[in-house]
Amino acid sequence: MTTLLNVEGAGFSYSKEGTAIFQDIGFTVEKGQVFCLLGPNGCGKTSLLDCILGLYKLNRGSIYIQGRNMKSFKPGQIAQYIAYVPQRHEGSFPYTVMEMVQMGRAAYTDRFSSPSAEDKKIAREALELVGLSHLRHRPFTQLSGGESQLVMIARALAQKTPMIVMDEPTSHLDFRHEIVVLETIVHLVKNSGVSIVMATHFPNHVFYFDNQELPAVCALMHMQGFLAMGRAGEVLNEQNMRKLYGVNTRLIKVPWDQERDLRHLVPVNTAATEV
Amino acid sequence: MKRKAIYILLVLAPLFCIFSSLFVGRYALSFDTVTNVLWCKLAGAFCYEAATAQTLVWDIRLPRVLLGGLVGGCLAISGAAFQGLFRNPLVSSGILGVSSGAGFGAALAIILFHGSTIAIYTFAFGFALLAVLASYMIGRVYSTTPSIMLVLGGTIVSSVFAALISFAKYVADPYQELPSIVFWLMGSLATASFTDLAIAGGPMIIGIVGLIGIKWRINVLSMGDREAHALGINLFVDKGLVIIFATLATAGAVCVSGIIGWVGLIIPHICRMLVGNDNRVLIPASLSLGACFLIMVDDAGRIITGGEIPLGILTALIGAPFFVWLLKQTKGGGWS
Repeated sequence: MTTLLNVEGAGFSYSKEGTAIFQDIGFTVEKGQVFCLLGPNGCGKTSLLDCILGLYKLNRGSIYIQGRNMKSFKPGQIAQYIAYVPQRHEGSFPYTVMEMVQMGRAAYTDRFSSPSAEDKKIAREALELVGLSHLRHRPFTQLSGGESQLVMIARALAQKTPMIVMDEPTSHLDFRHEIVVLETIVHLVKNSGVSIVMATHFPNHVFYFDNQELPAVCALMHMQGFLAMGRAGEVLNEQNMRKLYGVNTRLIKVPWDQERDLRHLVPVNTAATEV
Repeated sequence: MKRKAIYILLVLAPLFCIFSSLFVGRYALSFDTVTNVLWCKLAGAFCYEAATAQTLVWDIRLPRVLLGGLVGGCLAISGAAFQGLFRNPLVSSGILGVSSGAGFGAALAIILFHGSTIAIYTFAFGFALLAVLASYMIGRVYSTTPSIMLVLGGTIVSSVFAALISFAKYVADPYQELPSIVFWLMGSLATASFTDLAIAGGPMIIGIVGLIGIKWRINVLSMGDREAHALGINLFVDKGLVIIFATLATAGAVCVSGIIGWVGLIIPHICRMLVGNDNRVLIPASLSLGACFLIMVDDAGRIITGGEIPLGILTALIGAPFFVWLLKQTKGGGWS
C-alpha cells in the first residue's frame, strides 16, 4: 500500500500564545482507505482538516503528502492532491450544477484562462459518476440537500486527486440521502481507489463502512489528542463512547448474512458526569 | 453557439449606441454629415462639412459618448467583479470606498486649487486608491483578508470619507467652490474631451482587460475562502488582482465623471437575469450593458432639458423603474 498522507506530531493553535486546539497528533492514510475522525463539537476536527488542506499552518509537527512535506508545496498545488467537500456549500449565486463542477478544475487552469474542452469533459464525467448528469443545467441553489452534497462530491472528483477531505458531509441530510452519500463514498473508494478523510458526528458511519467491507480506520479526537485509533471493532465500544461523548451506549449485533453481523451503537442516555 | 451569438451582440450593442448617440443633442445633424465627418477624421482626409458640424461630432459628442461608454462599462464590470468576490449581490463598485475617496479628493482639489481639472483628476484618483488601500489594511487579519472584514473595512473608510466630504463642503466658499463640489458629486460627462479619455483611459482599460482576463477565477473566488483555497486558488494573489483591476477601473471612471451611483449595482444584476451568473459571460455582459446604459442615460440628460441634468440623478430615475420591470419579467431569475 502507498501512504498518501502522513501526519507527524501535529500541534496547532490559532495564535502563538493561545491554548492548543490539538497537539502531538499522528496518523497515516493509505491509498484506498477511509479515515474517520470522530469527536464532540469543538474538539478540533475541523481545525485538523483545515491544516491538512493547507488553510492553516501547524505550529508543531509536519504533514507529508505522498512523502513530500506540505511546506514545500506552492499555494494551489495541494489542491492537485487533496480535494475538499464542505459540510454544506453556503452559496449565494445560483450557478448551474455544471458550472459548479467545472470549478473543480481550478487547480489545473491558468489564472487568466477558463476551463478547456478537456476540463469540461472531466467535469461531465465526474457528474456522471455521482449519477446527476440530468441536473447539469439546473441552478445549484434549487437542489435538495442530498443532491447538492453529491454535486460537491462531483466537484471534488473533477479535481482528480488521490484523496478527498470531507467535513461532516451528511450532517444536514435526511435519512435516505445520508445513506446515498455514504453509498457514493463506498462506491468511489472501491472503484476509483480514492482515499477519504472524513470528519463525522456519527460513530455508526464507521460501522457502515466496515459493514461494506471497506478498510475504515477511525480516530477518536478528545482533549487535544486521539483517545483511540483503529478499526471500528477495536475502538468503537461502550467505554470509549462514554469517555468521548459522555453518552451511555449499547453495542448491538444482528445477524446479516451467513458470515457477518451488522453492528450498531445505540445511545441509551447521557452519562451522569461528563468526562 | 448560443454563447457566440451573445458575445457578438455584446460587442455590437455598444458600437450601435456610440454611433447613434452622435445624432443626439440640441443641434440636429443628418446621417450623411455624421458619417462624412467620422470618415474624413478617421481617414485623415479633408473635410467638406461645416466647421460647426465637425466640432460637434468629433470634438464634443464623440469623446463624450466614448467616455460615457467607458465609464458605464467600468462601473458595471467592477460592480459585477466585487459582487462575485464578496459573494454578495448587494455590493456595488463603491464597496471599498472608491467613490467616497474620489469624492473627497475632488472636493479637496476644488478648494485647494480652485477647480483645476488636472488637480481634480489627480486628487480624485489618488484618494480613490488610498481609500481602497485603507479598506484592505483594515480588513487584514491573521495575514489573510476575509471578505466580511474587507466589506467592514470598506464601510468604515466610506463613512470617514463621507464625513470628510461634508467637512470640505462646510469650509468651502459657498459661492464658487461649494456648487462645484456638489455638482461634481452628482456626476457629469458634460465637459468630456479627448484629453479626459487620454488621462483616465489608461487605468480604465487596464482594469477592464484585467477583469475580463481573470473572470473565471471570480467564479471560484465566490465559493468562499475555504473552498476557493481547497480548489487550488492562491487567495492572496487572486483576490488582490481582482481588487486592483476593479479599483483601477472604478477610480479611472469616477475621477473624470464624478460619482455616478447605481450603475455598478443594477447593471450586473440585470445581466445576471439576462445571461446567468457565470462570470465568464457576466463580466463581459456587464461591461457591454453598462456602456450602453450610461451612453443612453447621458443622451437622455442632453435632450430632456436645455440645461444638463447631472448623471447621478438620471441613472437612478431611469434605472430603477427599468430594474423593477425586469425583476417582474424574470421573476428574479433563479434568485429568491
